[in-house]
Amino acid sequence: MRAVFHSWLWLMRRSASGLVALLIGLGAFELIQPVAIASLGDLDRLTGLLNIVPPAFLALFNVTPEFLGGSGLTGYLSLGFSHPVYHLLSGATVIWFACRGLAGEMERGSIQIGLSRPMSRLQVYLARVLGVFAVTLLAAVAGPVGMIAGIAVSSPVGAVNYANFITQGAACALLTGCIGGATLLISASASRMGQAVGWAIALLVVSYVIDYFADLWETLKPIETYSIFDYYDPPAALVSGVIPAMNAAVLLTVSMVGIVLGYVVFTRRDLP
Amino acid sequence: MTERNADYHAIVTTFLSKQYKQVVALNDVSLRVEAGAIFGFLGPNGAGKTTAIKLLLGFISPTSGSAEIFGHETWRHGVEARQHVGYLVPADAFYPEMSGRSQLDFASRLSGSPPILRRPLLDLLELADADLDRDLRQYSKGMKQKLALVAAAQHDPRLLILDEPTDGLDPLIQRRFEQFLREFNSRGRTVFMSSHDLAEVERLCESVAIVKDGGLVAHQSIEQIRRMRYRQVEVTFASEAPDGRVWPDGVQLQSANGHRYVLAVEGDINPLIEALAKYEVEDLKITPPSLDDVFMTFYESAGSSKHRSQYQAAESKIEVS
Repeated sequence: MRAVFHSWLWLMRRSASGLVALLIGLGAFELIQPVAIASLGDLDRLTGLLNIVPPAFLALFNVTPEFLGGSGLTGYLSLGFSHPVYHLLSGATVIWFACRGLAGEMERGSIQIGLSRPMSRLQVYLARVLGVFAVTLLAAVAGPVGMIAGIAVSSPVGAVNYANFITQGAACALLTGCIGGATLLISASASRMGQAVGWAIALLVVSYVIDYFADLWETLKPIETYSIFDYYDPPAALVSGVIPAMNAAVLLTVSMVGIVLGYVVFTRRDLP
Repeated sequence: MTERNADYHAIVTTFLSKQYKQVVALNDVSLRVEAGAIFGFLGPNGAGKTTAIKLLLGFISPTSGSAEIFGHETWRHGVEARQHVGYLVPADAFYPEMSGRSQLDFASRLSGSPPILRRPLLDLLELADADLDRDLRQYSKGMKQKLALVAAAQHDPRLLILDEPTDGLDPLIQRRFEQFLREFNSRGRTVFMSSHDLAEVERLCESVAIVKDGGLVAHQSIEQIRRMRYRQVEVTFASEAPDGRVWPDGVQLQSANGHRYVLAVEGDINPLIEALAKYEVEDLKITPPSLDDVFMTFYESAGSSKHRSQYQAAESKIEVS
């Protein structure tokens, strides 16, 4: 296990600067949300604004004006966690890390440094899995921390249940972990980092597009269940403080399946 | 794997093959590298050297056959097989954003053995402490190669696998590293190295294997390989030249120009010397068989019947290490 720990620590160290930049971006984006809401004054003005927003735009956030009108400040704050930019930043963080640590190292040959020593492929892979867990956790914390900081700075009108940020963080972790698990499988299968990143982003975009259009077109509703975003519900987490058990189960299962299949592929494949 | 093999052989491959779809990268290669030897692994680009090394380290799985290091099969029992191995990772595989020192520490921690040879290697290769504190982005190709060599050997492994070890090193450092390998080897350590520098191989290695087109075309000692080739003898007679029929067996006339003859001598040279002693010789020049020539012959015509028969004849006479 010492080799796994050293390998994990090394991964984190060498990714530190990139990770910090992405996490700061994530936190900063969430910090902006309460500041923007506060700048509009009371929530009624925001509700009025949202009433004139086209449904296709609101579908990006997976909410209705009615829900927002009834949920108060936390409802509006939850938009920050379903915003496409948030998904882009959190997805990029975990995809970059998972692809760099496996496909990127196979491409460069760096993975040989560990594998030419008495270290098994399981240990090498386990270090990457631990790294993805750590990055998932950091990404899940960065957003809520940024938003809480934004609330402290701007003091928007309305009540906030801070305990629900923990639930929101858990929801973020489930989604990011799910993306991380799937990316580990892709990364273990690829031989080049660019190839792995491309496939992971493509998968993420397709999943997002399915969820988006299923909200707009009733005929696409049946396939919405194939999108991971269907199981991610920031309003439920931030407003009600709950994560539906089904959502958690699906996201966890996808994550675990990705991790296990990634292990199977990585331990059987030839290195490039 | 018998206990004897584990004790006496650092590396054993048995009909080791690797095929990628339609391409046969390595075909039925059987090798034995005695523990405590310095073994050269040679071949032109694309011959299968890197594939063989990857198979030895468990980076790829064999299509058929097996590879063992100190008695441990390298694909299924890779951790045990690599327990006492140092491998020269390609210099570009190191992390450019990290310092040289941190990479050596990382490699050492993964090896699980203290880096007892780090300091002497750093001194020998002239890699200063100040250099170690810099990112690899600031390293030259030669410095990266030096770092890779230190990372491979710092934990004093029982077997050192080196792919082009002196690539990018200046001649002085190259000679020093050769000296290090000799000392390393004198402590019973094994070195398995591939190189394009045949002079280096000749200086260092006791035995070699030559691969071409994925197949093994020779596997014997340097001396045996030398004996398989012709020496070139240039002889200038002071007076009348002898009749061509006086040449002993194994001597072929390559060219004649007046009293100057160029002969190719296979095997023992003494019969020719005895034959020449009967004449008045003005000048005699014997060029020892160059390994370059020998290897080039193997590289170019390994498939020809002549060399195959030479190889088979030599094989039948010797027990390969």
